[in-house]
Amino acid sequence: MNNPARSIDLTDIDTELSQQSPQEIIRYALENHHNIAISFSGAEDVVLIDMAHKIRPDIQVFSLDTGRLHAETYRFIEQVRNHYGINIDVVMPEAARVEKLVVEKGLFSFYEDDHKECCGIRKIAPLRKQLLTVDAWITGQRKDQSPGTRAAVPVIQDDKAFARPDDKLTKFNPLANWTSEQVWDYIRSNNVPFNELHDRGFKSIGCEPCTRPTGPGQHEREGRWWWEEATKKECGLHAVNISK
Amino acid sequence: MKITMVKKIFADGAPCKKCAEVEAKMHEAGQLERLDQVIVADEADPQSDGMLLAAKYGVDRAPFFVVERAGQPPEVFTVYFQFVKKVLNATTTEDEELEEIMNDNPDLDFI
Repeated sequence: MNNPARSIDLTDIDTELSQQSPQEIIRYALENHHNIAISFSGAEDVVLIDMAHKIRPDIQVFSLDTGRLHAETYRFIEQVRNHYGINIDVVMPEAARVEKLVVEKGLFSFYEDDHKECCGIRKIAPLRKQLLTVDAWITGQRKDQSPGTRAAVPVIQDDKAFARPDDKLTKFNPLANWTSEQVWDYIRSNNVPFNELHDRGFKSIGCEPCTRPTGPGQHEREGRWWWEEATKKECGLHAVNISK
Repeated sequence: MKITMVKKIFADGAPCKKCAEVEAKMHEAGQLERLDQVIVADEADPQSDGMLLAAKYGVDRAPFFVVERAGQPPEVFTVYFQFVKKVLNATTTEDEELEEIMNDNPDLDFI
């Protein structure tokens, strides 16, 4: 459900926050939401934890453990937990649903169909369940991660997909306007720990079967689901300027 | 109660795939009769009824539904399963809901 007045407010706030640094956006998020959590993928979005930890040391963090992550990513999640002295809620998919998928389609069905069914069961369903427990969440989504699907990522948005019935869920994307280079500058200058896979050419890190290193000049999107054709998904409403 | 569905056509005249899928699903479930009107948001015509309604409610995706009840502010739904569950009291499966979430939010790929 969408409350028109609130949407307009968020658009205004987004315009204002878009001019601010990720740290200022995170501060705003934490000051305005007590029950808020960071979604940590085990990759360079670790900068969110570093920034938030400096503001609120007991920041809530969760990671989606699909069961198919690299061993390096599991080690990194543990390293982050120890480095910051925080609890990371490792969220897992429903065993019965994974078992059903594997029994019916095997362990690598995503190479034959596409990755959506597997992602839905292993990632989106647990994410949805987790988000029912919070009022707001913070992600590491950036516009430069995928020109096709993330070009319009706002800094703050009304998350209608995952909100509890008749309730609101606010989603913050503090890194939306940062580039990969800015993220890595921050990691280096602040001695932030990072996933060792990055040193082996992985720009984007997801599940092990669906992630590969990319070479110079390749976009990080090319390291994920490379066997699938780019599918045009277009549900947005775009007015076209027409001279009349 | 008055229910309006807004569906989109692209600037080149092509129909919106998701709108067609939702419409077909509603037809199959006998839900189309519950709608009072279906209007078009024509991306080539910012003055089309659907585009004006989208601008009025700050909606940036299609299809969407506007539910008006006497004495209450209008409710706008951009998520189909939420609309049919709350307004039409229909049931949906988790698989259907996850599929809609993923199709509508391709940015979730990198979460």
